[in-house]
Parts: sequence; C-alpha cells; structure tokens
Amino acid sequence: MSSLLDIEKQAPHAAPAAVSAPFFARGALIEGEDAVHRSRDLGVDFATPRIDLDRIVHPRTEVPPLLNVPLAEIIDFLVETGRRISDPNNRFVRDCIDRMCATHVLPRAVLEHQVRVAAAYLDKRLLHTVVEQNFPDPRALDEWVARRDYTGRRSFVRAFAPRLVHVLPGNSPGVAVKSIAQGALVKAINLFKMSSSDPFTTVAILRTMADIDAGHAIVRSMSAVYWRGGDAAVERVLYRPQYFDKIVAWGGGEAIDNVVKYLGPGLQLVSFDPKTSISMVGREAFASEQSLELAADLASADVMVLNQEACVASRFLYVEGTRSEVDGFCERLQRRIAERAQACGDARPLDLDLREQIETLMMMDDDYRIWGKTDGRGCVIRSEEPVEFHPINKTANVVCVPSLDEAVRHVNVATQTVGFYPFDRMADYRDRLASGGAQRIVHLGEAGPSTIGNPHDAMYPLHRFVHWMAHEDGCDEKPRPAGEGQTRSDR
Amino acid sequence: MGEAVERLTRLVEAPDRYDIPFGDLRAAQIRAMNERFQERKSHIKLVEHRAREAGIREVRSHKEVVNLLLPHTAYKSYPEGWLAQQRWDRLSKWLDTVSAHRIPVNEVSRADDVDGWIEKLAAQGFFVSCSSGTTGKSAMLVASQADMSWCKKEAVATYSWGSGVKPARDRRIFGMAAIAHVPRNLATGEAYTAALQDPSCERFSYPVPPITVGALTQMVVLRKAIADGTARPGDIAAYEELSAARQKAVDAAVGLTAQAVVAARHHKIHVTGLWLGLYNVAKAVRDMGYSGQDFHPENSIYVGGGLKRAKLPQDYREFVYETFNIQPQRNYQNYSMQELHSGMPRCQAGGRYHVPPWVVPLILDKAGEKLLPVIEEEYEGRAAFFDLSLDGRWGGVISGDKISIDFRPCACGSRGPSIRDNVVRYADLEGDDKIGCAGTVDAYVRGVA
Repeated sequence: MSSLLDIEKQAPHAAPAAVSAPFFARGALIEGEDAVHRSRDLGVDFATPRIDLDRIVHPRTEVPPLLNVPLAEIIDFLVETGRRISDPNNRFVRDCIDRMCATHVLPRAVLEHQVRVAAAYLDKRLLHTVVEQNFPDPRALDEWVARRDYTGRRSFVRAFAPRLVHVLPGNSPGVAVKSIAQGALVKAINLFKMSSSDPFTTVAILRTMADIDAGHAIVRSMSAVYWRGGDAAVERVLYRPQYFDKIVAWGGGEAIDNVVKYLGPGLQLVSFDPKTSISMVGREAFASEQSLELAADLASADVMVLNQEACVASRFLYVEGTRSEVDGFCERLQRRIAERAQACGDARPLDLDLREQIETLMMMDDDYRIWGKTDGRGCVIRSEEPVEFHPINKTANVVCVPSLDEAVRHVNVATQTVGFYPFDRMADYRDRLASGGAQRIVHLGEAGPSTIGNPHDAMYPLHRFVHWMAHEDGCDEKPRPAGEGQTRSDR
Repeated sequence: MGEAVERLTRLVEAPDRYDIPFGDLRAAQIRAMNERFQERKSHIKLVEHRAREAGIREVRSHKEVVNLLLPHTAYKSYPEGWLAQQRWDRLSKWLDTVSAHRIPVNEVSRADDVDGWIEKLAAQGFFVSCSSGTTGKSAMLVASQADMSWCKKEAVATYSWGSGVKPARDRRIFGMAAIAHVPRNLATGEAYTAALQDPSCERFSYPVPPITVGALTQMVVLRKAIADGTARPGDIAAYEELSAARQKAVDAAVGLTAQAVVAARHHKIHVTGLWLGLYNVAKAVRDMGYSGQDFHPENSIYVGGGLKRAKLPQDYREFVYETFNIQPQRNYQNYSMQELHSGMPRCQAGGRYHVPPWVVPLILDKAGEKLLPVIEEEYEGRAAFFDLSLDGRWGGVISGDKISIDFRPCACGSRGPSIRDNVVRYADLEGDDKIGCAGTVDAYVRGVA
C-alpha cells in the first residue's frame, strides 16, 4: 500500500476560498493543496498536503533525537521560542492568526491574547517548576539515575523519551504551545494531530522553532498534520504500538471512541477528558450590596474564561439564597457577562437548538426566569435544578439552592473546576467535591490561573507520558534466599 | 378552520391533488397559513413568542412564515429530569407551550407513571405520540381528536395513491415490527385495517409486548440517572436483563410471524414494518423452504423509515420483495416526519415524493434561517414544511433533513412540487469531528443507547 494517502476522496482541486494549511514532518515544512477539508463551526474550507505516513513515523531502530540533549538546553530553546512567538513581527504567527480568523469561532482580539498568554508558558522558571512537580527526581529525564534498594540490589532508572500522538483540541490555541512544550520536556517524538478549527497554530510554532535552528533535535522530534478525526484510512495505519507508545487525547464522545478502538497492549491512552466547570456561591454574597456586586463580578469572570469556550469556564452556578436574593444575583451577573462580551466584541449568536431550549424555559412561568436574550450578548437562566442543555456562548445557569450542601450532589465525574465563594468555606467542601469527581476548587473569579505544575485532570501528565525503563544492575552482596528480597515477579 | 385551510385540506382524496402547480397554490397557501396563524397566535405560546420577537401580525408571504416555524427539536425541549422525577405537572405545563388547545394541567398531573399521564391526557382529548428515538431524547407530539381522524383518512389515501392499491378489504395485513404503542400509530393502524384487512379473519399482530411510552422512556431515564451518578449497579443490571428479555421476545416473534405468513401464503397479503424485521422474517420464510413463487402475485408492502442503523446485506430490499412476491408497482414509499400529519408518496414513474397542496414546502438554507428563492430547476436545502392539516399543534416545522426539491412537473406527469429520493439528515452528513476540553457528562455514560 502506498503511504501517500488522499485523505478526502474528493477531487484535489481546492475551492478558491480555501485557506492553505501546511504540515510539518520531523523538521520539514510540507506544503501542498492536495485535499480540501471543511472547518467545523464556521463551515470554511482549508487545503492541506497529502500525509506522507512514512515521514511522520520515527523508526524504533533509531533512538529519539532529543534523548541525550540536556533538559536545560531544551528549556532554553523553548524560552527562545516563546520570545519569538510574542514578537509582533513574527510572520508565522501573524499569518497564522490571519488564517485562523477565517476558521475559528473566537474573535481576533481573543485569539491574539491567547497566543500571548500561550507564549508566557514558555518561561524558564515555569518550565523547570512543571518538571519538578511531575517528577520526584527530574534527573531521570537526562540520565540513568542510580538507586539501590534496602536489600542491596542496584539499578538505574530512566524516564525514557516516549513516542506520542497528541490529538489536539480546537477550542484554544494555547493548548498547541503547551503540548509542544510538554512533548519537548519529556524528549518525546511527537506527532500532533491538529483539529479542523485550528489547523494552523501548531505548524506556526514549529516553523518559528525551525527558524531558530532547523537542524536542532527538538525540531526533528516534531510533526504536525491534519486528518479528519476518525478517518480509519489514517488511524488504522498509525495507531499501533510499533509506532507510538501513547495517544494523548483531548475530548470525549466520538473523538475518544475513535481512539479507544486502537488501544491495546503497548498503546495506551492519556486522556484529557471533556469537563464542565461550575461555581458555588454562599449566602455570604448577600451580606451587602458590595459583596453581591463583587460575587457577581467574580462569577462573570469565571463564566467568560475564553468566552466560555474552555473547560474551566463556569456554566452552572449554585447560589445559596432565597429566590428573590438569587434573582438579584442573576440580574447583576447578566449585566457583567454582557459587559465582558461587549468589551471584546463577541456577539456570536446562539445555536438554534440552544435558543429553542432557552425560549421554551421562558414560557414556563415561575419555574424559570431569564435575564438577557438569546441574542448572543449574554444570557442568565435561573432554575431550581440545573438545566439539561450545555450552557455555552455566554450563557449561565444559576441554580437556586437553600444550602451549598444541596449543590454537592450535582458534582459528577465530568466536573472539573469549582469556583467558590466565600473562600473560607472551601475547606469544608473539598473532600465531598473530590469524592463526587471534581478536580479543582478555586477562589471564585480565579478559574483560569493555577499554581504552576499542579496536577491536571487528576494526574501529573508528564509522569504518565514517559516510558519508564529500568536497568537492573545486580546486587552488592549475595542475594538473600527467595522471599526476602525484591524479585521482579512481586512487583 | 378557515376557508382556505378547509379548501386545501378537502383535497385529501382528490385524484388530481399532486397535479396542481405550485404557482396556482401560492395565494391560497399564504391565506391558509395566515388563517392558522390568526387562530393559533394567542394559543400556542411558543408561536406567540416567535411572532412577538419578529414583529409579525400577519402572514403575507412564504418568507414571513419562516420566522414562525418551530425547529423539530422544539418537541424535545422539555428537561428529561422531569420524566425521572415524575413531574407530570411540569411536563403538562411544558406541553401546554406547544399545544394549540389549553392543557388542563391540574386534571392530568396526578399520574402514576408516564403511561398513566398519557392516558389521562387522552381522556381529555390530547393525544401525545412519542418518538422512539434510538439516541437521545424522545419527541413528544401533542395532537387533537380532529388530528387523529385526519391521520386515518390521510394515511390510507396517500398509501392508495403511492401503491396503486385500491382499498378493497381483501388482504391480510402482516406487521413485522414492534410498533410504538402511541395514539398516532394506533389510529393509522386502525385505518389500514379498516381499509385493507379481509374482514373474514383477524389482523395478525406481531407477537411482542406493546412498546409503550413508558418502555420507550425507561432507557432515557436510566441514562440520566447514570449521568447524575444516582444509578446503582443493580439498576443497570436490571435494565440489561429487561433488554435481554425484550430481545428474546423479538427473536421469537420472527419465527412465529414466518409461520403465520407461510400459512397465509395463498391469500393476498400486505406486509409492513421496518427493514430489519422484514428481512429477518423473510429469511426465516426462506429457511422454511418458501419463496416468491409460493406467494400471491398481488401482495403489497409498506416500509416505514430507513435502515435505522441496522446492518443488513447489500440486497436486503430485493431479498424482501422476492420472498413475498411483491411487484415493483405495489412497493409503497413515503416521505414524511413525525412532526407532520401528512405524507408525501413516491410516484412509480418518476420515483419522486409528491408534496400535497395542504403541505407548504419551504426550502431553507442549511442553517434553517433563510428561505431560498424558488427557482426553475431542482435545488437543495433544509426541508421545512407547513402542514395546514394540523390542529392540535403548530403546523410549521423545520426538519433536520437535506432534500432536493423541484417545482417543475415530474416525469410521472404530476405538476405539483416533488422531492428527490435522496433525503439525508444533516446530522448524518456532518459527523462529529469536534474536540474541545469543555464537555458534558454524556461522554461518561456507556452502553445505554
């Protein structure tokens, strides 16, 4: 079988409006317009080259190029990359934002801000901290670390460079930067499968890196291509343990179902699951007009993280109070959301389905109340139980609860961040929230930032990325009789 | 009912009903839609809301009515949690927002279960049919007594036009699918029996327990409980057991039906059902050693819906036709949707679906927002219709279907608008290539679909 795959079976001539999206294969830029794809959300076309599968798989007979490049050098390279990404004269990034505006749901200013924020991740201290939090002994990335157990048995352990496929999400360009950095920190061979709503950012960053030093091992460790998620012609070929150790995938539903089919011995999944974030606002918010305004403002900040496209963005807000108190909160919350939406020029209309469901609730008299309209400028729905649709695009569901204890039962395995007010009640709730499935509890208004190097999705991802390899080096003295020492079979 | 509505719906049994050019109907259809709007605007809350938002007081064009169409999802817009919590009061209030006649909420709210609620509604003259949506939510469609009478008349008339079969009560009907036990299906089933069934013998009923709305929504309720984290392992095991028992009954029904149909092979029969059931029974008939030559040459068939995700051999249709000796001209196909109360039968000569005069075709852009201009050739778009026959709810619906329509005469000679036999759902077309870090708990529920 030829390794050249025509991804879309349609004629290769690109429609005139198609934006070009080149690939990157182990250090080399691949240009071409062999296949035309459709971006979700906006329905814009983009044209890509064919995927040369042989070029993006690194044979196992060759050790990963980054293996013996010191971590310090990798970090320096990433820091230089960050500096160049934030340079307004960087033509790759400028070009990328131009193209992205044609395919992305978010407005230009938000995308530009995203790229700047993403570049900030490439900071020397930050990257060192991430590594230190993920590995008890980061030296294992650079060398075979010697250890000796209490029986006198010696060994060397290495956090060996893995082969990773990153199935990238399309909702935040920042994830591309982070994924490249994480892949580089663990010295992996990386294949980035880009998403149809952003088939540009990853390649733009990789081109920026190639511009620094085209021959550097870090550049030769990176490939980025697009195929339609679930396309068996590509996935059945690539998703094999002979080519990759782990699939690092974002999302759920069909996106994950497609990947799960290919898992088996030797090919594992590290999943960043789709998440819903919520807020919990205690009765203390109603202590004064000032505290109410403050709580509503903090809550609106959490709702509007990345204009509610991100997983950390709050969608359901459980508010402890009487119906009339909660209505007061809703009114202020809606006002703040609308202000934030207006400030960044975001007036994307709601999907027909969502609009329909909200409008139906409007008809339901007292059980539900709506502030704002379904016109995409910010809308708040107050109810007694959480609504069943997914509030998105500047839509918040405020659930009136007599006590926050009641809200805990709505925390489930999909809950990620819980923004909490007042802060001094957080410790009372964190165990119950974790037991329900939640992953983070934060000050209301601070859903976005997190302590550098903290776990993500209830794990330390870098620790899971690497291929942990042991080199057993015998024993200091005569091994003890069986049963007393550690043998391989009792692991 | 207004004069224009009356004039158009009266055509239900007119032999030339599909032969009226769209241009000749335009004025009458606009008048009729306006009549419906004037009657209903203060009764159907959702329509009232739409009219207010769009500032519409009168329907004067096809373009204007687009603002007043409800998407098919409107009938699924109730929170599912109410089913699990048995909140019949709230569900009744919700139903009232899409009903043309006031639902007596207090009279129907005290029910033991969803089937009880539906019975209480029926006793008050509100007939709720529930879709058997295999994925996701069931639509709940409310209709009136007048609608039930209409469905009976319309179904048989449309069948007769499309199949060329004159109802003569000279056939034995064999249903080969478990049909949802909802008012509309019962009404049309009754009408087909009255029109086609040989009165000297009882209609064969498919030997499976009736699928009630309660049975349909059980899965929905469990799914929600799993998502909420309140389902216990025992609940899931009990449901799996029930599903297995149902499957066993369905499997057993195939053999029993095959035996009954073989026993009736010398009589004229009419087979009906879904492809999967028809294929399975046909296969059992072949396994018993019988095939086309053993059956009556004037047999007829009506298949409802497409494959519904069933995996069958390539030639499943031919296999079924050949087994029961069904000639191509008696193969009835019909395009419709549960939100409408009227079908569009396929003609034999042109192989196209014909839109009757009381159904106004409104072809929209993909987003379902704008009316596409009518042009003098076949063109495609999102199907929306205004079914002027509907009494118990609003007739204007935006579907999820992509269709190709032609307002010129069809090869069969009929001059009314017709739709090509290549209807697809936009949802099936697009697939889901989306990935984002934001998502819902639905992604964490496995195996209950």
